[in-house]
Amino acid sequence: MPDMNSLAHPQQHQFNPYTENGGTILAIAGEDFTVIAGDTRQSEGYSIQTRYAPKVFRLTDKAVLAVNGFAADGNMFVKKVRQRLEWYRHAHAKDMPLRAIARLIQTMLYARRFFPFYVYNILGGIEEDGSGAVYSFDPVGSYEREACRAAGAAQSLVQPFLDNQIYFKNQTPAQDTSHPVHLPLHSVLALVIDSFTGATERHIEVGDGLEMYVVLARGNPALQSLQDLPGAEEVTGTQAEERVFVIRRDLKKD
Amino acid sequence: MSIMELNGGSVIAMVGKDCVAIASDLRLGNQALGLSSNFQRIFPVTDRIYVGLPGLGTDVHTLWEKFRFRVNMYTIKEEREIEPETFAHLVSSTLYEHRFGPYFIEPVIAGLAKTPSGGVKPFIAATDLIGCLNFAKDFVVAGTASSKLFGMAEGLWEPDLEPEDLFETISQALMNAVDRDAYSGWGCVVHVITKDKIVTRTLKGRMD
Repeated sequence: MPDMNSLAHPQQHQFNPYTENGGTILAIAGEDFTVIAGDTRQSEGYSIQTRYAPKVFRLTDKAVLAVNGFAADGNMFVKKVRQRLEWYRHAHAKDMPLRAIARLIQTMLYARRFFPFYVYNILGGIEEDGSGAVYSFDPVGSYEREACRAAGAAQSLVQPFLDNQIYFKNQTPAQDTSHPVHLPLHSVLALVIDSFTGATERHIEVGDGLEMYVVLARGNPALQSLQDLPGAEEVTGTQAEERVFVIRRDLKKD
Repeated sequence: MSIMELNGGSVIAMVGKDCVAIASDLRLGNQALGLSSNFQRIFPVTDRIYVGLPGLGTDVHTLWEKFRFRVNMYTIKEEREIEPETFAHLVSSTLYEHRFGPYFIEPVIAGLAKTPSGGVKPFIAATDLIGCLNFAKDFVVAGTASSKLFGMAEGLWEPDLEPEDLFETISQALMNAVDRDAYSGWGCVVHVITKDKIVTRTLKGRMD
């Protein structure tokens, strides 16, 4: 039975087309590889919708895209980017280079300037010169190439840790030494796992599973060790020289 | 405008092997405007207890004077120094007295408790602004950079750190956290409390 008193007053209804689905993504570039990672929990408020919803997607054999924010927009955006990359392949008989994908993503995001995809994107992969690269975007397409970036629910927990461990911020090298510019793959993987276990411990929207995509440049000496790594699965699409692997780890489910 | 974020500032405390550390930034601001780069918000309670008071600047002083008075009264009545755990409950009940009109401070307590065998036991605690106690075994954080401090401490802290390693850990955790927080920074102060001495160091950090 409706409350007659409240019906006497004008009622306002509004449709909100956006939701925040939690989770966190992270990418780190090495000299000749890139790691792009994300947790697999998808939540809405205090409810977990699913414990396995991938946020990291292989676009080509040298480009991997991580999307975080509103999951429906994220999935649709990845679908549209993949469609544009397929058209490029048909027109030019080759995969689009990473820096071109980055610019494509900017124009696709800015095209929706006044009804944005509510998504933070991190694009990782290998440039044409064989170097590892990370591009990070805001929802309307402002972007930048960086060595590492965290985004999403636990960005504030993870980014200062990366500043310290990747950029060696607030650390002074010993006399006559210098900090490394790029870290080796095994150190990067260890830092990614530590970042996510830390974020899982303290943030309710992070957890369940971790997916780490590793993109190796041609002739990367780490190839053998990755092929031998238990639980690492190769997901390279064609006979390309770059190789793509995915490593899955469990995170706490509480 | 949040009163908890009006003046800015953050505090962290960590447990080590037979030692504890407490550290804070030195900024006092009015929202985005920086006012002071030497605002001390950590105070010595006894030879073995320090308290950090991040939150509203004016309440830092009022609350500290209130604690000082109550600790002095305790010392006179009991004819002994207050223990860290007792002090934590004093802090908690003082804040809860103002349950419906609170002081805008989230205190952090670090100290060494005496054991019956004559040794010391590290103690840290934190409360919210109405005195809900959190006795953590590893580290506690508070202030405008708390989420960044959680991320740093969760990544850097490990059990049974020696005093010098604990100093490095807490300093790195604090400095890298406040560098990502607009309301905290402008220098840091770190206190490491051990059985026979307290080492206080002022750190030079980014001044932007």
